[in-house]
Amino acid sequence: MTQPVLSVEHLSVEYEVGAGHFQAVSDVSLVVPPGRVVGIVGETGCGKSTLAQAIPRLLPEPPAHILEGKIIFQGTDLVPVPRGKLPQVRGTGIGMIFQEPLNSLNPAFRVFDQIAEAIQIRHWREMGVIPVFHPGPTPWDYTHRPLPEPSDVLSHGVIPGVAKDAVSRRLVSRSDYRREVLEYLRLVRINDPETILNLYPHELSGGMRQRIMIAMALSAKPALLIADEPTSALDVTIQAQVLTLMKELIDEVSASILYISHDLGVVAETADDLGVMYAGRLVEFGPVADIFERPRHPYTKSLLRSIPTRYKTDWPMPTIPGSVPNLSQLPRGCRFHPRCALARPICAREPPPPLRVVGEAAGSGTPHQSACHFAEEVESQP
Amino acid sequence: MGRNLEDLLIFVGKRMLELLPVLLGVIVLTFLITHVASINPCPRWYPKASTAVLAHCQAQFSLPLTTQFWNYFTKLLEGNWGASQLGVPVYPVIASAVPATVELVLASLFLMIVIGIPLGVIAAQFAGRWGDHLVRVLYLSGWSVPTYVGSIIAAVFLAPYLGLPTSGEYSAPPPFPQITHMSVVDAILAGNFPYTVDAISHLVLPAAVLAFINMGIATRMTRASMLEVLPLDYVKAARMKGLSNFLVLYKHALRNALIATVTVLGLTAGGLLAGTVVIEEVFAWPGIGAYAFSVLGGGGQPNFDGAIAVTIVFAIGVVVANLISDILYGVLDPRVEWR
Repeated sequence: MTQPVLSVEHLSVEYEVGAGHFQAVSDVSLVVPPGRVVGIVGETGCGKSTLAQAIPRLLPEPPAHILEGKIIFQGTDLVPVPRGKLPQVRGTGIGMIFQEPLNSLNPAFRVFDQIAEAIQIRHWREMGVIPVFHPGPTPWDYTHRPLPEPSDVLSHGVIPGVAKDAVSRRLVSRSDYRREVLEYLRLVRINDPETILNLYPHELSGGMRQRIMIAMALSAKPALLIADEPTSALDVTIQAQVLTLMKELIDEVSASILYISHDLGVVAETADDLGVMYAGRLVEFGPVADIFERPRHPYTKSLLRSIPTRYKTDWPMPTIPGSVPNLSQLPRGCRFHPRCALARPICAREPPPPLRVVGEAAGSGTPHQSACHFAEEVESQP
Repeated sequence: MGRNLEDLLIFVGKRMLELLPVLLGVIVLTFLITHVASINPCPRWYPKASTAVLAHCQAQFSLPLTTQFWNYFTKLLEGNWGASQLGVPVYPVIASAVPATVELVLASLFLMIVIGIPLGVIAAQFAGRWGDHLVRVLYLSGWSVPTYVGSIIAAVFLAPYLGLPTSGEYSAPPPFPQITHMSVVDAILAGNFPYTVDAISHLVLPAAVLAFINMGIATRMTRASMLEVLPLDYVKAARMKGLSNFLVLYKHALRNALIATVTVLGLTAGGLLAGTVVIEEVFAWPGIGAYAFSVLGGGGQPNFDGAIAVTIVFAIGVVVANLISDILYGVLDPRVEWR
């Protein structure tokens, strides 16, 4: 089996706020194989954004703190990496798209400068001008070695002339990236990129800004792209456009993507594998189709049942009783048991084991896993 | 658009027009205060003068206040800034003192920017930890020291340790003409290297004291607006491009945080100019502050024409400083239009 781009092993992240400790992510393990899109869904406050930001070690430490676990990116554990070396992993290694398009572009710089900056960093790393994260089994290799093509995710974006020119002059000026910036703007389906280049973020609509954010992240050619709810903050029509774009880009660039969302419908359309989070834990993980057809966790099952559709006329709409537990006062045993229709005495006493394989996946290679005491019975229950 | 050169010129023109009523108000107020405070200053000015001289002086002050004002104002409009009671004209003094003060204020602004703003970034970066507390102690100690105490401590106790001069612009009268009346600039223009070094060493201490006392507000403002900017997504996005921590802080975050700092720096102009009154007197700096001290009666006779002239100059200084900060505000923030 090929080496996964990212494999998170038993990751726990804690926030220290005032006197309290809140474990926002508990014992989460997941794998992102090369070229696959892994979706993570969960309610607000279930820890999915914390997970997304913990992977490139973007969380401010303190107050956040990685309690235990490994974040193995391209064979190297990122948890023990000193802070000063982290920038080497970001951009060309792990890229990120943020939720809030109004805030994710710097208001003081033109669109061109923001994208060109990302391209420039990549070029300098490719040329070996600035140090780069060298993926490999060795713990850390800080030599100024060029990237061994791990970022061949987006080959059509490269303009060989620019890079060759750059090597001969060592450092190229920003304006030399113009053609490449235009390529990326076209890639995210922006009409009239020549004009957009010279605009400031406040002169653009939310959907436009999100496209530029996507272009900026892609222009670094990341080996892994983390999309943290890229469509959630947009209004519905724009949401649909950006979602279509994301889907098209996923096909075009065949990137490894971790797609975070609270919308099961969005994930169903984009992801290959799906993880469901509840109160900081990953409760189910498996191929999307499998999970939608045969959910093996009561939470997933209730979630699927409460998706409103145009043709379903159940009234009242099915909901999950109760509310998400406060992370500082988690219930004993299984965290979902107070709201679970299947709960039995053991659920209140003993926390279920972390994900265990409950079913063979058909062909995709990812086994269906669940963290429920009675995973085998979920399907037969009403 | 409201953001091109033409708009900027219109903006500056408008603000300059707004300066006129401000100046008129300042002139009227200062004139009234000086002339009402001492209705008949002649016997004190000329204690040993002949009756003829005294009578001439008193004839001038016995006119109705409105006539006195009109006489002064028309004279001022003709470009005549008046003279002290001993007959020393005001204008030449002002003309050489203003550049000297501008030099001092710019030097201390420079120190406030290169020291005060990075301190604010450091404080925000380590918010709530020892680095933050250290910076707070530093700027609060500057902020809470009265100018006269700070400048005397610097002149008497610090200067001997640092080996810095504490008096005047140069150690010896310069052999070159003082074209701009800015000590360092004149020395550079004359191509005289030893005098340039000498002028800078004379400038360091008064500028540092002025900066230390007024720096707190720049540091505080930078810290506060950095704390607002740092959690925003675009700072995280900049990190996720693979930029170093330094570039994230000083390019992406500070660029936006500076917008607030620049506004506040404009507001400190008044404080800086007020500080020069004491600091120039202590360090014998031949600027407008020391002149203000003397025309208001410090160590001699008060000088009405000089007092009004100094007030006009200070008012222009404050208005121009705020205009510059408003222009910079627009330069830094592309969302701002000049109008």
